[in-house]
Amino acid sequence: YYTYRVIEDPEWSLATVPHLTELCLQHIIHNFEKNPILDRLLPEHQRKVLDRLSTGLPLAVTANLISDEDYWKRCCTERWQACDISNYGDSWKQMFFERHLENILKCFIPNTTDPNQVLELIPLCKDYVRKLEVDQFLPPVQTAQKEERDDLSNTGSDFGFSEVSIHHYDLGVLITALPHLEELHLTYGVKDCGMNFEWNLFNFTHQDCCNLAVAVKMCHNLKVFKLTRSKVDDDKTRLLVRNLLDHPCLVELNLSHNLIRDKGAQAVGKLINHSRLQTLDLCNNQIHHLGAQALARALAENSTLTSLNLRLNCVEDKGGKAIGRALLTNTTLKSIHLGSNNLSEPTATLFSQVLAQNTSLTSINFSCNHLGLDGGKQLLEGLANNKALTEFNLRLAEVGQETEYLIHQIVWANREAARLGSLQHPRAKLI
Amino acid sequence: REALGEDAELKVAQVEEEQRRSHKQIEESRQRLAKLLFDGTQMVTNIQVAADLRETQRRAEEAELKLQRVEKLENEAKSSTYKFEEITSKWALAKEMTIPQELWQLLNQQQQQCALLLEEKNKLIGELQQELKNKDEQYVWAIKKQSDDIHLLLERMEEQIRLMLKTYRHELLQIEKAFELERRELLDNNRKKWEEAIQAHNAQELEYLHARMRKVEEFEKQLNQLRVQDEEEYNSMKIQLENDVQNLERQLQQMKAVYQLNQEKLEYNLQVLRKQDEENTIIRSQQKRKLNRLHSLLNNLRTKLANQKKQFREENHSLAADCERITGQCKEVQRRMRHFAISDAEKFTEVWLMNEEEAKGLMQKALNADRVIHTQQLGLPWEEPRYWFLNNVGPLGHYKVKRMATKLAAEVLTVGSGEGGKENTAKVEGRVTPLRNISKKTAKRILELISDESGFLIESKLLRSLQALGRHERTLMKLDSIFAALKIDSEDDLYQLVDFFLKYKAKEMAVSQGRWLLGGRRWWKAHCPACWPSLQSQGSPGAEDVTDLAEDREDGGSGAQRDKLKSPRSSLGSLPSVYIHADDVLKILKAFVRGFDKLREKDKSAKEVLQVRDSSKDGEYWEALAHVIPEPRLKLWDALAVALEEYYEILTRRASLLAEAALLQQQNSELCLLLEEYISSGVNSKLLSPPTKWMDLNLSCPGEAQ
Repeated sequence: YYTYRVIEDPEWSLATVPHLTELCLQHIIHNFEKNPILDRLLPEHQRKVLDRLSTGLPLAVTANLISDEDYWKRCCTERWQACDISNYGDSWKQMFFERHLENILKCFIPNTTDPNQVLELIPLCKDYVRKLEVDQFLPPVQTAQKEERDDLSNTGSDFGFSEVSIHHYDLGVLITALPHLEELHLTYGVKDCGMNFEWNLFNFTHQDCCNLAVAVKMCHNLKVFKLTRSKVDDDKTRLLVRNLLDHPCLVELNLSHNLIRDKGAQAVGKLINHSRLQTLDLCNNQIHHLGAQALARALAENSTLTSLNLRLNCVEDKGGKAIGRALLTNTTLKSIHLGSNNLSEPTATLFSQVLAQNTSLTSINFSCNHLGLDGGKQLLEGLANNKALTEFNLRLAEVGQETEYLIHQIVWANREAARLGSLQHPRAKLI
Repeated sequence: REALGEDAELKVAQVEEEQRRSHKQIEESRQRLAKLLFDGTQMVTNIQVAADLRETQRRAEEAELKLQRVEKLENEAKSSTYKFEEITSKWALAKEMTIPQELWQLLNQQQQQCALLLEEKNKLIGELQQELKNKDEQYVWAIKKQSDDIHLLLERMEEQIRLMLKTYRHELLQIEKAFELERRELLDNNRKKWEEAIQAHNAQELEYLHARMRKVEEFEKQLNQLRVQDEEEYNSMKIQLENDVQNLERQLQQMKAVYQLNQEKLEYNLQVLRKQDEENTIIRSQQKRKLNRLHSLLNNLRTKLANQKKQFREENHSLAADCERITGQCKEVQRRMRHFAISDAEKFTEVWLMNEEEAKGLMQKALNADRVIHTQQLGLPWEEPRYWFLNNVGPLGHYKVKRMATKLAAEVLTVGSGEGGKENTAKVEGRVTPLRNISKKTAKRILELISDESGFLIESKLLRSLQALGRHERTLMKLDSIFAALKIDSEDDLYQLVDFFLKYKAKEMAVSQGRWLLGGRRWWKAHCPACWPSLQSQGSPGAEDVTDLAEDREDGGSGAQRDKLKSPRSSLGSLPSVYIHADDVLKILKAFVRGFDKLREKDKSAKEVLQVRDSSKDGEYWEALAHVIPEPRLKLWDALAVALEEYYEILTRRASLLAEAALLQQQNSELCLLLEEYISSGVNSKLLSPPTKWMDLNLSCPGEAQ
């Protein structure tokens, strides 16, 4: 038969016939969805199968079976253009599941989307999701009122039509089911609304806040919690803080770009000393001197916080001085940002004292304040004997070019010294 | 930058050289890059800072505007309310108006004013709307501005990245160049060094080669020299050796001659020996035979010996059994004998007592008779005879009743009393014991010492009650209780105690003085145990024989030492004023008590021996009992009997005479009675001259006259 074929067909050759193993593998790949065989194969065959598997296979099959990074890399690159693996713990699989889950949450419309869509995914992804970064929560669709709203949009959208059912998706079920969740970045808002903008789309309701707070409290491994651009006001802050008190793991809290006022700041101040917070970001809120004083009081007793950001608030001199006084006793804070806080010379005077005494602060930011020439000189005096500060931002602080230059020189020298010290240290350890 | 810096630092660490070009280059590059990075960051963040500033300014303006607006609104509201009030106040006026024209005029005015008010309001609204529009525009502008900013930001970032990349590449190149250069230099240096070293090495090698050649030549010369020398030596040696060989050959031949001679001699000897050997074999066979015979004999004898041994053993066994049996019998007999002896003694005593009682009764009778004779018949004073046997009860020669130790002590203490008896006993014993001769003073001293020092042996109760007594009595009482505690009851024990004290002292002195250190110590050791029984026996004369036996045995064992023993004893006794220290008393007492217990044991065994009495005095005793009344007195009694018989005769005669007299008297009295009867009868009175008148009246009662 062969000879016959060979004679008959000059183009035929034995090489073109694939091996049986190849054929088998091919078959396995084609029927992977119905009959996933992977663990029982030899390593080189596994490799081949994984290389040729379709990325469109249902997750229910692949999620817990395949741990091969290359497969998940293909999945990711096919689905998204930009893939920065370093943000996802250097794991393609983690990246895939986190982004997949985020996408589902972003597109989740309460009362319309089937909640099972999320629930079904939980057993598949719970072992891989460590970070959730959701920057969009869609409000429920209200068709009947939508038309009405179109009519009324001119007269004012803040008509009382949406008290009941404008709550967003409740994360509680999901978050508590993810045992390895460590980071949670949330923004209650709608992206790319364009000309369909309505204030309504950006409403972080009290119910939402309650749900979120309870969910976060249940999430014991959470280390980083960010809730930004979500219209969090004093009441909601207090609600959140009440649930976050004595959280076992929480290290970083970010409530920037919200509507927190003094009362909220006081609550956060209380939280500082009842948790293990190391980083606190409250930038672009409406904290005035009372809130700053509350924070300063907490700071004076605290020994965990290392970074505090109060950019774009309204702390003013009273609050600035209170914080400065707190920093005279505090020995853990390394970085503080007081940019755009309407500070002036008295704060600078006090901070010159802080600079002379405190040895733990390494970074201070006073940009966009009205410190004045004298304030700058006083800061320079205070800095004269400081060896710890490696970053001192005084841009647009009206301190004068010369002072800024001199301060820059000192800080630069400190930074060099710190670099040498850190180099010497490991070398000493090596020896 | 950090990574780069660290890499550079690592390299530096590896090279370990500070001032190197590469290091410098790296440092420079690092600094330049850091500056660049800082500047770039500054530039990029400047946008953010500027935006912040704008925002703060905008907020400040906003706040101001808000304030103005509020003020304006308030003002407007105030003025409008004022106007409105004015208008409303005019409505009241209008009601009072009656003239239509005026009313119309007023209404017009009101209308105008209302219109004015409305206009103002509208104007305000318009203004606000204008403001809103402006705000919208501003918002659009701000958005535009922000997008511009973001674009700018992106641009700058990209530019920055490009720049950074470029500079990084440049710097990397520079660093690489520096390293290359350095490496090349290093290589050059090393090569140069290498070549120098090689050259030096070659030169040295050459030198070594030359030196070696020189040495080789030298050695060759030396070799030749040595060869020549050796050859000469060889020749001379050869000659000498040849001479030696010749000598030796000569000697060899001599030896050969000697050898042959010897061989012949030896052959002869061999022959002789062979003969001898043959003889020997014969003798040996003979001897063998003899030996066999003797062996059989020996065997026979052995069997005999065994038989005899067996026999003797059996005999021995039977004899031993016999012996045992006999000893048992002997013991039994002894026991029986002892028993009989005891019973005999008892019987003897009983018989003795009975006889003695009888004898005593008889004797007493005789004595009584004697007494009666003396006192009643002779009228002489009777003196009770005093004989030693009178008071004796029981068999003669019984032990002297032992005085109690305390009694003895009391005696000793009251020096001078009861000495005689003791001396007697000493004499009876026949052997002068130094012990008894201890001076009373010494004994007293010792006893006093004991009583003073061993107060602990006395019961406290007793001690308290003793305080009341006198010194002498107290000492006595104390001694009594001490002896009770020490179990000293007989005088022998006391003697021992005193003797022990003295000996102890003597030993002490011997030790201290060392005078008769050798002899004294030896006799003490040898005799002490042996002495005790003898000492003890001294107190009991009955046991004398036994002790004598012991003494005899002793004498056989250590007769030589007897003399020695006596001399220290006498010296011991002659130390009347031995001073015994009070502190030593307890020590001595302890030693004594230890030795005393042992003694007691011996004592008991000694006492078992039966005491044999002698009967030499018995005859004498009984004789004495029989002759309790002496000879002269018997004679006296005979004479008295004769005299009394005579006296008896006279008395009997007198008695017969008396009887006669009594008869006569009776006759007389009968006659008197008859007479009286006659007289007293009536006839008399009738008579003219009664006989009574003239008759003597005395005759009337002759009985009375008698």
